[in-house]
Amino acid sequence: MNPKLRRLLPRLLLVGLILGLALFAPLLTDQDPVKMTISERLQPPSADHYLGQDEYGRDILARLLYGARVSLAVALLAAAAAGVIGVTLGLVGGYFGGIAELFTVRLTDIVLSFPPMLLALLIVTILGPGAETLTLVLTILYTPGYARVAYGETLSARSVEYVEASRALGASPFRILFRTILPNISGPLIVQFSLTVASAILIESGLSFLGLGVVPPDSSWGLMIRAARGYMVYSPLPLLWPCLALTVTVLAVNALCDALRDIYDPKAAREGGLLQAARSLVRFPVAGEARRAEAEPAEDAQVKVSDLRIEFATPHGAFAAVDGVSLAIGRGETVAVVGESGSGKTMIGLSILRLIPGPHGSITAGSIALRTKQGDVLPLEQLDEEALEEVRGRDVAMVFQEPMTSLNPVYPVGEQIAEALRRHHDLNKREALAKAIELLERVGIPDAALRVRDYPHQMSGGMRQRVMIAIALSCTPALVVADEPTTALDVTVQAQILDLFQHLRDEGDSDLGLMFITHNLGVVAEIADRVLVMYCGRIVEEGPVREVFRDPRHPYTRGLLSSIPRVNQATGERAPLTAIPGTVPGPGERPQGCAFAPRCAFAEPRCSVEEPVAHSFAPGRSTRCLRWDELGPAAARDTEREITQEAGQ
Amino acid sequence: MSDKPKTFYDDLSRRHMLGGMAALGGAVLVGPGLIGRAQAKTPGTLVFGLSSYPPGIKPWENKGTASSTVKLQLFRGLLGYGPDGGLQPELAESWEIPDAQTYIIQLRDNAYFHNGDPVTAEDVKVSLEAIAAEDSTAHLRSRFGVVESIEIVDPKTVRINLKEPQVTFIYLLASVHSHIVSAKELAKDPNNFVGAGPYRMVEVERGTRIEMEAFDKYYKAGLPKTKNLRFDAYKDENLRVAALEAGDVDVIEYVPWQSMDSIGANSKLNLDVVDGPFMYLLFNTEAGPFTDPRLRQAVAYAVQRQDVIAAAFFGRGNLLGAMPIPKGSEYHEPSFEGHWKRDLEKAKALLAEAGFPDGFQATLLSTAQYGMHKDTAEVVQQNLADIGIQVKLNLPDWATRVSLGNRGQYDFAVMGSAGDFNDPDALTNFLDGTRGNSYVRSLGFADDEINGLLAEGRQELDPAKRKAIYDKVHARALELAPIVPINWRAQGYATQAYVSGFKNMPGFLTFYSGYTIENTAIE
Amino acid sequence: MGGGGLTTYVARRVLIALGLVYIVTTIVFLVLHVIPGDPAMLLLSGGGVDPSAEAVAELRRKLGLDQPIFTQYIDYLAGLLQGDLGNSFQDDHPVAAEIAKRLPRTIELILAAALLSVLTGLPLGTLAALRQGGITDRSLSLVAGLMLSVPVFVTGTLLVLVFAQKLQWVPAGGFVEWSRDPIRHLIHLLMPAVTIAMGLSAVIFRMMRTTVLETLQQEWVRTARAKGLSGRSVLLRHVVRNALGPVLTVLGLHMGTLLGGTVLVEYVFNWPGLSGFLVVAVETRDYPEVQGIVLVISFLFILLNLLVDLLYSVLDPRIRLE
Repeated sequence: MNPKLRRLLPRLLLVGLILGLALFAPLLTDQDPVKMTISERLQPPSADHYLGQDEYGRDILARLLYGARVSLAVALLAAAAAGVIGVTLGLVGGYFGGIAELFTVRLTDIVLSFPPMLLALLIVTILGPGAETLTLVLTILYTPGYARVAYGETLSARSVEYVEASRALGASPFRILFRTILPNISGPLIVQFSLTVASAILIESGLSFLGLGVVPPDSSWGLMIRAARGYMVYSPLPLLWPCLALTVTVLAVNALCDALRDIYDPKAAREGGLLQAARSLVRFPVAGEARRAEAEPAEDAQVKVSDLRIEFATPHGAFAAVDGVSLAIGRGETVAVVGESGSGKTMIGLSILRLIPGPHGSITAGSIALRTKQGDVLPLEQLDEEALEEVRGRDVAMVFQEPMTSLNPVYPVGEQIAEALRRHHDLNKREALAKAIELLERVGIPDAALRVRDYPHQMSGGMRQRVMIAIALSCTPALVVADEPTTALDVTVQAQILDLFQHLRDEGDSDLGLMFITHNLGVVAEIADRVLVMYCGRIVEEGPVREVFRDPRHPYTRGLLSSIPRVNQATGERAPLTAIPGTVPGPGERPQGCAFAPRCAFAEPRCSVEEPVAHSFAPGRSTRCLRWDELGPAAARDTEREITQEAGQ
Repeated sequence: MSDKPKTFYDDLSRRHMLGGMAALGGAVLVGPGLIGRAQAKTPGTLVFGLSSYPPGIKPWENKGTASSTVKLQLFRGLLGYGPDGGLQPELAESWEIPDAQTYIIQLRDNAYFHNGDPVTAEDVKVSLEAIAAEDSTAHLRSRFGVVESIEIVDPKTVRINLKEPQVTFIYLLASVHSHIVSAKELAKDPNNFVGAGPYRMVEVERGTRIEMEAFDKYYKAGLPKTKNLRFDAYKDENLRVAALEAGDVDVIEYVPWQSMDSIGANSKLNLDVVDGPFMYLLFNTEAGPFTDPRLRQAVAYAVQRQDVIAAAFFGRGNLLGAMPIPKGSEYHEPSFEGHWKRDLEKAKALLAEAGFPDGFQATLLSTAQYGMHKDTAEVVQQNLADIGIQVKLNLPDWATRVSLGNRGQYDFAVMGSAGDFNDPDALTNFLDGTRGNSYVRSLGFADDEINGLLAEGRQELDPAKRKAIYDKVHARALELAPIVPINWRAQGYATQAYVSGFKNMPGFLTFYSGYTIENTAIE
Repeated sequence: MGGGGLTTYVARRVLIALGLVYIVTTIVFLVLHVIPGDPAMLLLSGGGVDPSAEAVAELRRKLGLDQPIFTQYIDYLAGLLQGDLGNSFQDDHPVAAEIAKRLPRTIELILAAALLSVLTGLPLGTLAALRQGGITDRSLSLVAGLMLSVPVFVTGTLLVLVFAQKLQWVPAGGFVEWSRDPIRHLIHLLMPAVTIAMGLSAVIFRMMRTTVLETLQQEWVRTARAKGLSGRSVLLRHVVRNALGPVLTVLGLHMGTLLGGTVLVEYVFNWPGLSGFLVVAVETRDYPEVQGIVLVISFLFILLNLLVDLLYSVLDPRIRLE
């Protein structure tokens, strides 16, 4: 069962039980809630009176049950009445706007300019206390809430396609409002209803407590508390029961409300779904003391990853997102990691900063050796969080895919750059800001001295990505991991950002190592020295860009190459796109033998049985295909030419 | 690997947050404990817990018990009452009543107003005339209409001539609503009331607190016994008791009935309870079922009085099955006592006789604002169900209750009241409908015989003859049942055990117990 | 955000607020004169006595209640325009002065409660979010749910029973001016503030927990970590700071509701604030006081909502007010 429903059901049952107790009060007790037996005042619980008797000798249980009827009836009735009136006002106001809006939604605003308790007091004074007055008071109090919800939802629903479609089809406004829009906003309204009920129960009891609510001899929890308060010092039980009943009921309705909100309110629903996501972002498993092996010094490599295995725990068991990957990035080298989503390429990037989302994801084998600017080689997989914080930003930095959300909206961009600077350098605020301006200039932001004070939302996507790059470069790391840095940008901006990367790599001390993660081979051709092609957590082909493009020795690489849109130089015609059939298998669906076999045009029966190993067939080149030598170089030669041409345009 | 994954905030959250929380929580919980009873009482100050903040303390307006108590400290009238309930001289040194139409008052030599001026005959004349004046809002305004003239015989002697003989006029002079104020100050500012009471005003924190200090030229030697006096208002009765139990106050008025047992059992506290006012039912005799006296009688026989006492007053108080003339009074007639008691047969017979053998429906007006009114109404509703009268309760707030009562919008109503003084003439308020519509008496009830007898009683000087007159009134009232009394209501004050001298005065005078504050000492 | 735009925005909101307050005032004025209950009668019949009819008529004349309602309304408006809220029916005390004295007490109570709530709700909400699903989170959430469900009059009553009557640690209620004795002032403030804070801190706790959870999965948090910031900095600067906007907005709105909603707490603890005063004013039909209080509270309520919006735009630069 859906976990949300699983949360909902017991709460629904509890509220149902309370309602049932109230509804069937006459069947549950044969005691009369108003029958006084003065001689048995304040008797403790007995066989006839399970919860004892009150100051008139009335049965407390009966009064609790019958009191529940009054309290709940008032609350439900008011919530429902307010719902009907408020929703109608909100729908009409939101749909028609103008004068209609003035006389519906704006009218209810007057109610909102009274603090609720004050309004309740005034109305009760005019009309005199009583259950009917209470219902009216609560109805008036809650109408604006519904009106607002309905109004807001109607406004947004009005422009939605299916509504416009109904309108175009000539449906009457009435039909559109109640048949099309209303069902669509029922979720938030159900949430509003349960919220209102809980609040109404509280206000009802509060007013009854003040003597302004339910009129005796009718029973109400608020009244019972008011009366029992007088003798609580020597007879606390009669106070306890209604307090308990009230608290449990409100608690149950509130809990139900929370569960409903998870289901209906998209914003809060994220909260429930967030459970995994939020943890995965911040939790980070720290490697134990198990392996203390010295990291192998990789000659001249900024980073050397060996036999890395990253596993994720899922309800269906562990699955390896990265499975035995080894790679090295040399000084000043740009390495592209290419693959479809789900290939594990991002995980490799994150693992180099040890930012793999925990606790479900963790490095279970292999090593990551990072060379710092001082020349030490650190075994990253063994460092604790504190040591990692030193390394991040200083020795290795990262540029993320989504510049819109990767910057904190509440700080000016300059401050966010300065923050990184001050973390690793002993700078005061002013110095750091001056440095930030320099960095902004370096990444090509005009008027840097002014823009440094801009907030992220005041910048375009390309600008923001430049800021991200400035942050990454701020502490002159030896290695930058760029995870699809251009994907979220539009085409012209993409090219500018790529130019920037190229420029940065080529300028001054070009010691900067760059790991460029992308699914776009066109980008690879432009920027990278070497390319690693990943599929299902493994590197399936590796080699210098030019060679791999000219002579791909894995069917997957070939498939990727032919799925790039390209234009024939001579004719100006678009070559037909050849997409790789099928999709990347999900976790737990990984086939036996070669993982790519089910999608592979070259697959033979043995491919589904025998697992290919990485085969190094030339210096710097390897592939994981059983039939690598049957994939001739000619097959892809012209492809490569066209790509380089296109990318160069 | 450690079995529990660690997070980047692990250390920090534990160290900083939990530590901070613990400190904060500790401060909140332990703080007051350490300070302990930091709010020790100010020595030499008597703290009196009022049941409400006086809505006004003008000398002649009746604004309730709390107001009367406060007024008594600032002002005094010509006469007053001693702790035993007997009349005693205040600003007057002595008085003479040559006939029931003439009152000659001799003033004290040593009585001074708070501004230092001596109290003179002029002040008395001006004050008493102001009560009856055209623009007066005084409580006793209409009763003072009986005054023909006030003569200044000499600076210390006043002669009051009445339009007709009235033996009860002396009680008006002893009322807490006929205080004497400085004529000089009143002439300067009609809203500046300077009295000659035992305490003078120091500071008023409106709605919360009134502070006073002893007046050094008070006319009673050695009084008041406590230097400083403070009134704190505790509107909520539970809180008033809590304040007493917590030691915040020395005396409280209006002890809630449900707390009387626990206060009585508390060795650190003293409880002083008397039968003061009485609870009764009044009727709309102009319209509705209760125009028929037999139905009023039926109600009188159906009410289970001890149930009201038990439920509304937690067993405190005494049955009242006749007209409210206190037992201690010389006008009390034992043969009337307990005339009405629950007798369902009789009640049903009366219903049948009146043509309602199966009962009828009626609206009972009371108020939810005061527990005793509400509780009484609930019990009466139950009791009347036994003879088939279906009672619908109407329990608005007090203000609405008063309005509906004055307008007569009810079939019958619950009321609690006390007479203005301990004399059977106080019955006039409840029995004489010619005095106009009022929420304290039955709408439209007027009986010539009763009214004639009451007038006679006011003029008769001889106590024996008066008793005969009031016995006739009583008998007639029991026949017509203009009101149906239920019970004497216990009225309680409670003090700390170390408080001495404070006394709850008997009968209707319980609300005048403020007189004894001047005798009250702490430790 | 252009300065001009903001000024226009604020000016427009204030104008709307004034309009609403005018409507509210008029409604309350009319309503009061419809309610049964004659102020003059009430004033002269303390303790269930029977005032003389002439005295009542005279008092009605003095209070101006013998005038037609329309005349009374015009007089009232004229007074309002001169900043005069009128005088109490009870003792002729100026209403404005009384409100000026009592309003700060209610505000103080609300602020003290808000402070306690923020001091507990913010850190605990953050903690619960960080420990989501764990025993800490579950127990804290349960406690918060409970505190939200217990009405203040129950909490208040129980606090008085335990801490004043049984333990005698604190006075049962009442008030001492700061100028008289600051320590006793704070002691008297403690219990009512804690009573309100219980519910309020639960609200803040829940809001903080949700918002922090939401913020934690924002990508800028990952960016911040990639910069090498310590867990503490990431949490404070990039999670908590960002969560403040919505949380403080909710706090502000609740404080507005409390302006009239401290009624029960003021009643239970005898705190001489404005809302408790309103109950008494309604009971005694003191029209000028009721009108004055409603006017001031509604105005503050609307103003506070405006301030909350402004504050939110300061806390979240993405919000533009126009």
